[in-house]
Amino acid sequence: MKHVIELNAVDLTYRVLVNRSGSLKELIRDTIKGRVRIRDFAALQKVSFSVAPGEVLAVLGKNGAGKSTLLKVLARVLPPTAGTVSISGNIAPMIELGAGFHPEMTGAENVRFYSALLGRDLKVVDTRVSAIGEWAGVSDHMDLPLRTFSSGMVARLAFAVATDQSADVLLIDEVLSVGDVEFQVKSAERMRQLISGGAAVVLVSHDLGAVRRLATKAIWIEAGKVMEYGEVEKVTDSYEKSFLN
Amino acid sequence: MKYIPLIRLLVGRELTLRYKRSIIGIGWTLLNPMLTSFVLWIVFSYIFGSKLPGDQQYAPYLFAGILLNNFFSQGMLASAESIASNGAIFTKIYIPPQVFAISSAFASFINFLIGLIPLTLVVYISGTNLSWTFPLTLLIAFLMILLVSGLGLILSITFIRFDDTRNVVNVSLLMLLYLTPVFYPLSALSPRLQQLIGLNPMTSFLDCFRWAFSTNETATWGDWFYISIVSAAVFYLGVYIFKKYWARTVTML
Repeated sequence: MKHVIELNAVDLTYRVLVNRSGSLKELIRDTIKGRVRIRDFAALQKVSFSVAPGEVLAVLGKNGAGKSTLLKVLARVLPPTAGTVSISGNIAPMIELGAGFHPEMTGAENVRFYSALLGRDLKVVDTRVSAIGEWAGVSDHMDLPLRTFSSGMVARLAFAVATDQSADVLLIDEVLSVGDVEFQVKSAERMRQLISGGAAVVLVSHDLGAVRRLATKAIWIEAGKVMEYGEVEKVTDSYEKSFLN
Repeated sequence: MKYIPLIRLLVGRELTLRYKRSIIGIGWTLLNPMLTSFVLWIVFSYIFGSKLPGDQQYAPYLFAGILLNNFFSQGMLASAESIASNGAIFTKIYIPPQVFAISSAFASFINFLIGLIPLTLVVYISGTNLSWTFPLTLLIAFLMILLVSGLGLILSITFIRFDDTRNVVNVSLLMLLYLTPVFYPLSALSPRLQQLIGLNPMTSFLDCFRWAFSTNETATWGDWFYISIVSAAVFYLGVYIFKKYWARTVTML
């Protein structure tokens, strides 16, 4: 089977300035005093895996293990320091939904702008705007500025836009469902449909039950290194066991 | 090319958002340079008005200066901020940030075009005429877009890395305003100062613009050559520096 996502020995190293200077003044002062020290922080080390269409890869690991960094590398936002990333097809990043939403723009304007950021065809989006608003349950607010929305409504609208169209590659970071109980059921169902819709999916979640149900394989990373990679049951079991010891 | 719809949305957003909560909305784009010019006109027309050579008029001279200088300074800052303040987007969705910088520069260009309307009025009210060379203004504006987006790209990197470069830039812009013949005629200065100020590319920009729009100044081939070279070089440098440092910078967002 042809792989859509292929990572080969990917390293990502953040360069951190010890006593990091956020200003030119501090940097100059520290340079003069010889206090600038650069330390490399390896967020990912030699990570390799592949995902084929229809496969769902779950990424497991504690907070700070490098899961979000990994998704950002897959989203092509962070270029890897070493190794190769090859991804074919269009990518739908579902990471902290609603990036680029602006409080002074109306619901409909935000839908168009967010869709354009996601690289969608605006002609198609224009025919979908009212359906998106309706699905999110904010139809009567679509022509009002986003600042008049409640935070739940914003989250629902962002989810509705992000999940309106699928892509060849789905990157999902802890957004299996949003909103109140009623909307959670609806959004979880839509997410399930998207995930099983034939795309290559990479899923970050702490919900091991959901991981077992949705994923076909899993990768467990700890401090940027791959601990285990393979069949979902096996990896999830050993990840769970690591907590018992 | 695939980013053209996004560029259109970004330009529209830039033009409307700033005045979204004001009553006359985008009308401020017209009023802002007019009011600034009016204040400066009251202050300086007595001092410099009589110092302009020949039949040049002070009011269009000043207004043209303010308009192009605003295009430069506001365009450059907006272009840099469009990247520096949208980190939330660039760390989640892959979009070349250059698209944002160029959109901001383009929005400033449209503001400039709108400003040409009152400038035309001022030209006629002061008893002069538009020059037949006025379409050359578009060439000047194109070069200015290159200059502004090139500088914006460089500044965006420094804005993200060092917060305080914003202050440095603001002070530098104020200094540059005094080193540019925006509200004074070059001929009012001593020959030595004239030489120094002549090195400033903005001086050539203003000369070309005032000459092309209403023959309210003289511009030489040297001026045209100078602004073309400087704009192209700065744009190229901006693209190069941005490409080189963005990968490291994006991790700081």
